[in-house]
Amino acid sequence: MAKTGWAATFKKLKRYRALFIMMIPGLAYLVMNNYLPMFGVVIAFKDINYAKGILGSDWIGFKNFEYLFKTRDAFVITRNTILYNGSFIVLNTTFAIAVAILLNEVRNKLAARFYQSVILLPFLISMVIVGYLVLSMLSAESGYLNLNLLPMLGIEPISWYFEPKYWPYILTIVQLWKATGYLCVIFLAAIVGIDHEYYEAATIDGAGKWHQIRSITVPLIAPTITIMTLLAIGRIFYSDFGLFYQVPLNSGPLQPVTDVIDTYVYRGLMTLGDIGMSSAAGLYQSLVGFVLVLLSNYIVSRRNKENALF
Amino acid sequence: MQRKSKAAFPLAVVIALCLLLSACGGSNNSGSSSESPASSGSAPAASGSSANDKEMELTLAFMGIGNMKEVGLVQEEISKITKAKINAAVKLMPIDIGAWTQQVNLLLAGNEPVDLLVTSSFFNYSSQVAKGQLLPLDDLLPKYAPTIQDTMEHAIFNSTKIGGKMYGVPSIRDTAADHGISVRKELMDKHGLTFDNVKAYADLDPIFQKIKDNEPGVYPLVQRSQTNGIANELVRGYIDYLGDTPGVLIIENQDLTVVNLYETQLYKDALQQARKWYQAGYIMPDAATTQEGNNSLIKAGKGFSYLSNMKPGFAAQETTVNGREMVTASIVPPISTSDSGTGFMISIPKNTQDADRAAQLLNLLYTDKDVANLIANGVEGKHYVNAGNGQIKAPEGGSDYVFNQWEVGNNSLAKVWEGMDPSIWEQTKEFNKNSTFSKALGFSFDSSPVKTEVAAVLNVNNQYKAGLESGTIDPSKLDEFVRKLKDAGLDKIVAEKQKQLDEWAQANNVQ
Amino acid sequence: MKTNDMNQVAVHAIFILLAAFCLIPFVLLFMSSVSSESSIVNNGYSFWPKEFSLEAYTYLWSQKSAMFNSYGITILITLIGTFVGLLISALLAYPLSRRDLPMRSILSFLVFFTLLFNGGLVPTYLIYTEVFHMKNTLLALIVPGLLTNGFFILLIRTFFANSIPVQIIESAYIDGASEFKIFIRMILPLSLPILATIGLMLTINYWNDWFNGLIYITEPQLFSIQNLLNRMLVNIQFLQQNNLGGQNMAVNLPMNAVRMAMAVVGILPLILIYPFFQKYFVKGLTIGAVK
Repeated sequence: MAKTGWAATFKKLKRYRALFIMMIPGLAYLVMNNYLPMFGVVIAFKDINYAKGILGSDWIGFKNFEYLFKTRDAFVITRNTILYNGSFIVLNTTFAIAVAILLNEVRNKLAARFYQSVILLPFLISMVIVGYLVLSMLSAESGYLNLNLLPMLGIEPISWYFEPKYWPYILTIVQLWKATGYLCVIFLAAIVGIDHEYYEAATIDGAGKWHQIRSITVPLIAPTITIMTLLAIGRIFYSDFGLFYQVPLNSGPLQPVTDVIDTYVYRGLMTLGDIGMSSAAGLYQSLVGFVLVLLSNYIVSRRNKENALF
Repeated sequence: MQRKSKAAFPLAVVIALCLLLSACGGSNNSGSSSESPASSGSAPAASGSSANDKEMELTLAFMGIGNMKEVGLVQEEISKITKAKINAAVKLMPIDIGAWTQQVNLLLAGNEPVDLLVTSSFFNYSSQVAKGQLLPLDDLLPKYAPTIQDTMEHAIFNSTKIGGKMYGVPSIRDTAADHGISVRKELMDKHGLTFDNVKAYADLDPIFQKIKDNEPGVYPLVQRSQTNGIANELVRGYIDYLGDTPGVLIIENQDLTVVNLYETQLYKDALQQARKWYQAGYIMPDAATTQEGNNSLIKAGKGFSYLSNMKPGFAAQETTVNGREMVTASIVPPISTSDSGTGFMISIPKNTQDADRAAQLLNLLYTDKDVANLIANGVEGKHYVNAGNGQIKAPEGGSDYVFNQWEVGNNSLAKVWEGMDPSIWEQTKEFNKNSTFSKALGFSFDSSPVKTEVAAVLNVNNQYKAGLESGTIDPSKLDEFVRKLKDAGLDKIVAEKQKQLDEWAQANNVQ
Repeated sequence: MKTNDMNQVAVHAIFILLAAFCLIPFVLLFMSSVSSESSIVNNGYSFWPKEFSLEAYTYLWSQKSAMFNSYGITILITLIGTFVGLLISALLAYPLSRRDLPMRSILSFLVFFTLLFNGGLVPTYLIYTEVFHMKNTLLALIVPGLLTNGFFILLIRTFFANSIPVQIIESAYIDGASEFKIFIRMILPLSLPILATIGLMLTINYWNDWFNGLIYITEPQLFSIQNLLNRMLVNIQFLQQNNLGGQNMAVNLPMNAVRMAMAVVGILPLILIYPFFQKYFVKGLTIGAVK
């Protein structure tokens, strides 16, 4: 009984051996780059002593995790991280899809290419430079807003870097500005892959543009949307460090609204130099993301097995 | 979206497959890292330099803040000398300061050869010791570098001890600091201003007012950086920070009582002073967020003066850096604090290939005139030219090697730059000697027992300090600040610090 | 089929607005790079500088050997990295897209698990430097970026699975074609949109990567452009925001205008190249639409 099971399996594997061979370079790479370093997870639970080496250092249980939970700040940073990422996921996806769909509608090909290139540009600048550019807009003294725009609208100059209430909006806009082009490219590729026959058939049936978008375009790129969203959920505890640290110019009063897990960990690392603590933070972030993805993936696969990640 | 954040260190749950692999990878790691202690540590049989048969290349890692383009040239010249003397070439490894903590951690996590490393209390010196990254020098120094201790104040030399053992040798520099103000001479002269009546910080008001009234577009007082606020400079001359975590000593009390700086009258007064100046318009409105440092502000003509710690020859140095002639007034007499010595040192990391040889190179940095001069000033002709009188000046077209001397070695052996008093090193020595020493000189706080609280307190600090100390935020917020600090565990840190200080005092017979 | 003319106008209007919003910061960036240093320190960055000056660019030109060198490095690793990365990703994604592949779910899980978990910086660094000895080599700039994690593979797999009808593969089997032949002759040509997309992403990732350079490279000859720029900026920022016991530094901080100029210089080639990339993108679109 078992023997035939094994033999059959083996035969099957043999039949597909070409496919397996194709996967070798990629898998080998993942082993080297991702799986081998996983032994490092132990760092989060140890009090690393370099003289003893990583394996020889003492175990200290969850002490490295304490700073992420015990303090009041822990609540603030967790809340900030989740709220920002949550809204980013929703906004980015919606916006990017909308732009991709619109882009697909532009008849003039040259214009479409131009627009697409331009929208992608912000993605290319590093956040450090973006920080300077935002400063040029928001500087209390010489920023464009305070100097030119606000007076035109009859509003008093605002000390932007000291008023936390504007920053959730500022950061969201900056984030959208940067990420839309990138995501749009992905969604556009998916949209372009949709067979034109569907649209032709729909037009013959008398369906309007809006209707077509709702019932053809969006459903057919649903796999891509699902995947991008699932991935984003998996990274829900990670933040774009540059966005939250460099753009607000590390301004103290803004901290309650701009501090996220990553910035908190970074500051800790700079002072304490403790890689155990930063490893713990990383593990925490990964774990939460992992659980959330598993959950979401499960929900998705209940509805439509095809769209699930695995 | 898929940005690799340089701050986040994501880790994994190990799957069965990985456990297997990690056992192999892991044993590699622990196996190789246990090799180094065997070759380093207290010298066993070897006696003096007779064990220098093996030719090797010693790596010196330091903060490459200046211009390091021609570091290769300097390295070659130094190697010529060291090869002859200790049969070892030298490799200079400048590391960017912005990446210092991260890169050093990575370097020391593995087994890359690093033989000498710049260490500092500002860059986790005590944590490095606690984590076993540095080797004790107590046996190596008497053997290979016995004269180093005479090149500086003995108190300073011994101040790097942790747990009774020494892990670093301070660089020769100004270890004491007096505090005062630096101003642009041309504006002082233009408005007939002098420092004659300036004995305390409050006496500066008339000067600031004169500038404010007569020089539009020039701010009387600028800050050195975002985090080095006005109030900070006002108190710095009076306290020993005991590292960069909360809990300080008031030096004039000459006691060993650790206090919370933010609750002292000294600090409250400083905040009031800063606020007064801010509201009078002497300080830039965006002082707390500006990305411009004092040097570029003065250079561009936007600022008039700044407060800072000083040393002999400070005015001359600042004149060169700012491109404008500066004069200084000292308001608080010089002090030496617990981290005066540990501010910048050289240590031998556990990654060294040969601790004995490393110690010998260390000795050369402190005793060999040519090596010290090469590393501090570069190669003659390329990086400096003779200015007569034994001094040197910059060559035509500038130099592609600018080193920050105070990091490494015995700079009093190096040539003096034009514009500096030729007797600058003697003056510095006197300056160091005559300063008021903090009782806690030599104490290093190990923050690992309270690292959770330190991280939390740091966060709160970040929120309030820049605004309060620049005078941007009203000092009434101080109570809120202190409350939040206490919530974050400030008292625990102060208590721990006091405990360690008392233990240290007892072990070292300090009253 | 396509929207009527009225709607076209509306669509164009929207995009012109968006385009402006995206371009304005670049204009600012460029304008700052041609301002004089003192006008920036005194007046901040402005769209029309008080004082124009090419001093930033003359400074960069004086560093031209370092600049050209780092350009060379960047171009080299981008070309190689993109090509190899694309190849490996496609090779890995294709079998995963085949629903008849045995052990498909396990393999998929293994691949995509890497998206969520990573060994961390220190262990990864140790593997690359101690086990594979890649420090200060070009490999260190190329290899870590090849796949990084399963993100691109996921996208490609989705595309393969959804946009390539199984019937094509089945009819190829009937014709007696081998897996490799099917892959090269049929799958790849049909996948040009996604390959172009991923290729673009890889290119951007490699071009902008400074992180790998930061931790694996200490030899200045191997600095890429972004590595160079980023080191400089991070150093400046660090000194700005940290108080090293008040130690007075004799630093070589590039002026504001120079930082902006470096940023311009770093992005410019990418901006210029992208339109050409796009051409293949469009070509791929039309081919992909054909059954």
